[in-house]
Amino acid sequence: MIPAQFDYLAPTSVEEALAALAEHGDEAKILAGGQSLLPVLRMRLNAPEFVIDLGRIDALRGVRDDGDAIVIGAMTQHSVVGSDPLVAEHAALISKAVEHLADAQIRHRGTFGGALAHADPAGDLGAPALALGAEFVIAGTGGTRTVPADDFFVDLFETAIGEDEILTEVRIPKHTGWGAHYEKFVRVAHQWPIVAVAATVRVDGGTIAEARIGLTNMGSTPLRARAVEEALAGQPATEDAVRSAAAKAADGANPPSDLNGDADYRRHLATVLTRRAVLAAAGG
Amino acid sequence: MDLTHRFTVPTSVEETWAHFQDIASVAECFPGATVTAVEGDTFQGSCKVKLGPIALVYTGSGTFLEKDEQEHRFVVEAKGKDKRGNGTAGATVTLTMADAAAGGGATDVQVVTDLAITGKPAQFGRGVMQDVSDKLLGQFVSCLETRLAGGAPEPSGESGPTSAPGEQSDAAAPAVDAPPVSVGPAPAAQREAPAAPHTERDDSLDLGATVLPILARTYWKQGVAVLGVLALVIWWLASRD
Amino acid sequence: MTATQERPSAEIGQSRRRKEDQRLITGRTRWTDNIQLPGMLHIAMVRSPFAHATITNIDTSEALAATNVVTVLTGADLAAEQGTLPTAWNITTDQKAAAHLPVAVERVAFAGEIVAIVVARSAAEARDAAELVDVDYEELPAVLDLKKAATDEVLAHPDLGTNKSAFWQFDSAGAGTGTSVDDAIAEARANGILIEREYRQQRLIPAFMEPRSFVCDPTGEQLTLWSSTQIPHITRFFLAVVLGIPENKIRVIAPDVGGGFGGKLQFVAEEIIAVLVARRTGKPCKFTETRSESLMTAHHGRDQWQTLTLAATKDGTVTGLKVDLLCDLGAYAGTVGGGVPILGAFMFNAIYKFPAYQFNCTNLFTNKTLTDAYRGAGRPEATFAIERLMDELAVEVGVDPLEIREKNWITHEEFPFTSVCGLVYDSGNYEAATAKAKEMFGYDELRAEQRRRRESGDPVQLGIGISTFTEMCGLAPSRVLGSLNYGAGGWEHAAIRMLPTGKVEVITGISPHGQGHETALSQIVADRLGVAFEDVEVLHGDTQISHKGMDTYGSRSLVVGGEAVVRAADKVIERAKPIAAHLLEASVDDIEFSGGRFGVRGTDKGLAIGEIALASFAAHNLPDGVEPGLDADATFDPDSFSFPHGTHLCAVEIDTETGGVTMRKYVCVDDIGNIVNPMIVAGQVHGGLVQGIAQALFEEAVHDDAGTLVSGSFVDYLVPTAADTISFDIEHTTSPSTNTMLGTKGVGEAGTIASTPAVVNAVVDAIRHFGVNDVRMPCTPERIWRAIHSRDGGDGTPGAAMPHFSEEEPGRDSVEGADQ
Repeated sequence: MIPAQFDYLAPTSVEEALAALAEHGDEAKILAGGQSLLPVLRMRLNAPEFVIDLGRIDALRGVRDDGDAIVIGAMTQHSVVGSDPLVAEHAALISKAVEHLADAQIRHRGTFGGALAHADPAGDLGAPALALGAEFVIAGTGGTRTVPADDFFVDLFETAIGEDEILTEVRIPKHTGWGAHYEKFVRVAHQWPIVAVAATVRVDGGTIAEARIGLTNMGSTPLRARAVEEALAGQPATEDAVRSAAAKAADGANPPSDLNGDADYRRHLATVLTRRAVLAAAGG
Repeated sequence: MDLTHRFTVPTSVEETWAHFQDIASVAECFPGATVTAVEGDTFQGSCKVKLGPIALVYTGSGTFLEKDEQEHRFVVEAKGKDKRGNGTAGATVTLTMADAAAGGGATDVQVVTDLAITGKPAQFGRGVMQDVSDKLLGQFVSCLETRLAGGAPEPSGESGPTSAPGEQSDAAAPAVDAPPVSVGPAPAAQREAPAAPHTERDDSLDLGATVLPILARTYWKQGVAVLGVLALVIWWLASRD
Repeated sequence: MTATQERPSAEIGQSRRRKEDQRLITGRTRWTDNIQLPGMLHIAMVRSPFAHATITNIDTSEALAATNVVTVLTGADLAAEQGTLPTAWNITTDQKAAAHLPVAVERVAFAGEIVAIVVARSAAEARDAAELVDVDYEELPAVLDLKKAATDEVLAHPDLGTNKSAFWQFDSAGAGTGTSVDDAIAEARANGILIEREYRQQRLIPAFMEPRSFVCDPTGEQLTLWSSTQIPHITRFFLAVVLGIPENKIRVIAPDVGGGFGGKLQFVAEEIIAVLVARRTGKPCKFTETRSESLMTAHHGRDQWQTLTLAATKDGTVTGLKVDLLCDLGAYAGTVGGGVPILGAFMFNAIYKFPAYQFNCTNLFTNKTLTDAYRGAGRPEATFAIERLMDELAVEVGVDPLEIREKNWITHEEFPFTSVCGLVYDSGNYEAATAKAKEMFGYDELRAEQRRRRESGDPVQLGIGISTFTEMCGLAPSRVLGSLNYGAGGWEHAAIRMLPTGKVEVITGISPHGQGHETALSQIVADRLGVAFEDVEVLHGDTQISHKGMDTYGSRSLVVGGEAVVRAADKVIERAKPIAAHLLEASVDDIEFSGGRFGVRGTDKGLAIGEIALASFAAHNLPDGVEPGLDADATFDPDSFSFPHGTHLCAVEIDTETGGVTMRKYVCVDDIGNIVNPMIVAGQVHGGLVQGIAQALFEEAVHDDAGTLVSGSFVDYLVPTAADTISFDIEHTTSPSTNTMLGTKGVGEAGTIASTPAVVNAVVDAIRHFGVNDVRMPCTPERIWRAIHSRDGGDGTPGAAMPHFSEEEPGRDSVEGADQ
């Protein structure tokens, strides 16, 4: 497993990285942890002339409090995100999802922004980010722009990040006090989820005041299960109420079929897992 | 793997048929494709497919296996090899036209594509290539549809083909809660990108196109978006690049 | 002089930590791919992406022009010298097979077959240049489905005229070992119970940890091949035969090898290529496969359709068993290849007293990767079939599945027992193993819990699966192999060298690749010769050191190889006795050997074996006519197979909403005869169980309709990890083998053979009340969920649970893979 030859660039600032990207453009790939890119390079399913490693840009690492949001640097490793107290307090859904993301080795190498920019619809972070209404800060040579989660995921492996842009950080609006659960269904622990459901709810006196639900691997992008969210609002956090709302989980979804299950089975799973995720989230 | 798409265009069968006088007009509809040579019923070219971390270039050729004007049916076979020896892609596209069941001088078009991708891309995990193939075929068929419906001189453009009422492409099924189109800067620069005139996406299928910023290399981005693989129509490149 | 070595206790039976682990686990050892030789060249393969195609043109010019490329070779270039890959086991004398060329010349018959070779100064340059070889193919129709292969509509090898390689039958009436199975079936159809089922043994991939690697150095007097193989001795023989190299000019070394599971028990194309290229270039050459290449082209295992009829009386006494197998050989007959199902031919009757038995096996070619031995090789398939059927019979009779087994199994008083196949089972005690397993499992309590969950309609249902297996291992009596038309014998060789300082070198013809042979053999020799464990070195895997052997597979290493070591040790003792007697001035008849010391009966005089070794080395004072040296060797050819057995009990919880399976408890009580090292045994059992569980729940090699292996990475080929298993409860009963002095029976494959049906029986048991009587392997959540809901319109478990022996029956279509 030897990749084709490439030049390795390791900028130490976002500006340098952008300049490299501008210079090499299509001939370059960004390395942001490499847990998806390197296997592809080793299988020679891509052979860029340049690999731009963002791993030495310290400014892209870390979690900080920014008032009504927490901000996660794009190059923050999953293991750091997963153990960060700010994330746990204000975006518990992210913590729960990271707990089950791949395996410990990958969590120490892979990065939060790298995974989101990779935009694998079976990735574990897209659905929570979508559910929490994350905002994606994208830097280009002309400055930075912020893209809401709803607009960030465009298609299979495709995001709103332009060819000469870099995702620098992800702002996650605080959901302090919200219950959260990530219900992931796999056959073996290390595989991508067949389906997973990210649910976070605000329970007020036994009633679900607000619910936000993201679906993993139910289409070409992470999806919001808005029909379920609407059906849950104002409902008691009971099994029956949640079951009835969760039945809408797969409404309109167009999930893939593969060796682990066909689209119909995934639609069914989505309803079961949504119910479980919401109940677990509501139960604290 | 057989994939069937059906759609209806408002023109008559004869008019519709007339759109396909040369094979390149079919080939050009395939996302990422560049036709480098046409000779009678045969074309040569390449197809650049980019999918997230994957980038493949297939080179190959295509030919009309059958062109039956009476039955309004043609069959194009295209075959290509990945430039890096990762495998092959081949497709047999059978397009049949008939008077629309609904009448009104319209034409029902059926496109059956038998797609075969071999080698490493087919082994890329979780059957992702299947999804990509579906998507590419959806775009391919939409392009055909546009050409048939509107006779647009360009096979695709950023405005993209519109979905005809009869559209049944599986690949075009909307995802739940597709994000609303956020209108970014108009990707005018794409027009100027000569290298990939046929790779732009169909907006009706893929809302992502409109959120792209203006970028000097946007056309590459479009190539990425289109990605894909395989081939449907793949083209022999006389001179390999 | 007195014996000085005090040894605390017997080594055999101790859980010694494996002496090889430090170098293996830390990576200190040198695997084949770590070998670097001066001037070494690297090989990369160009492989066919098509399952079946004619090669119309190969343009190597660009590759040849690439940086540091030494040569590019095609099949045509090598046609005169490459020979064909041999099959050691033609199961019938008229077996058909297409010539398997190391490098295809005109036609490829599976995706992954080698069509060209690039040789360069670095591995990266070879890989780069391989991309530049331009091959044109003309696709041919490929036969990918086993049942369709049987129709001969599409041929894997058009020149053969058929896909059928061979048909092989064992019939108890014909062999005189039992009665007519057709009579038994007719009787049961009229007055008894018939269980008719069709089961699928899906295709598996051995997925050993170390990808295959070969280094050939042609510069010495002997051509040396380092190979990550289980079979260095057989490889040497094949190299001589296939390539015409004088055997004395070949040295094969299997250094430390990272796993095999049967997957390295072949003589393969890549090995021949490494040798041919080295000979052509005159330089050392290396080829190491990638994981993708390994999964795609190293051989696969299993892949059978089993059509089964079990006849019984109304009270559940078995009266006959008829087995019809369709076996997928893949594109070519492998080294063992077509013989694999034959290794299961005598095991379908298992531990039960069938009076009538018939086994029919049809081996077929398809345009897929070839299949060959994979952990258990034939016996897991047999065990799965019979253990699934016994559960079905229990349901039919309406009794507990343990009860139906007990009714039919051989009781311990009946040993030695001659089976309906004519094999003599030397020892066993199924009652004892089962009683112990039941108790450990809490069988009755779990059955009660199962009832409660059913009655309350719990969304999580509990299932209990049973497997009371036996296997035949310790391959093998040479005469039996000969009668089966196998191309070699089954003996094993060992030698012991007594070094002057009292240390011991043990040379064995077995070839460990992770099992812990060095530790186990050291324990045996330590006890036998009365020396310290640390003083024993075990040497293997190099034909210059271990000049003869039959290598490692079929749970034979300890049973056959260990016994050879014991016999060699005993010869050492016999050689030492006259010297000891001479030095002690006693009669040989008065010399007693015990605890490493030669004593004189009735006195306290004695000499340690190390002292005799030194005396023998100096040779200053030896009896007349006695040669210096105590070294001895022995070759052991067993008279019979050994027959370990065990009772495995598995409890699973099925989430009926998702079809998800959670293992709750797994208990096994294996009788593997005497145990040399309990820790190594536990390791073998644990690993074996996980591999068998993986067949039941996780693993399947799936090809798409173009013949591409789509489960070609660990993303889709689901090898479970520690995170996916539970802690197993392992115990043993002991009925020593009566065939050997050590009394061991073999354990390398037991877990894999036994566990698969235990798990599937548990899965089916959990959801049987939904009307389910089979779930095809791997029992994915989706399949289980569909089985549960099949009665409300789902398609259940296609391809299973229908009557057969009638071609018109529905459901015989086999549609493999993703759409199931």
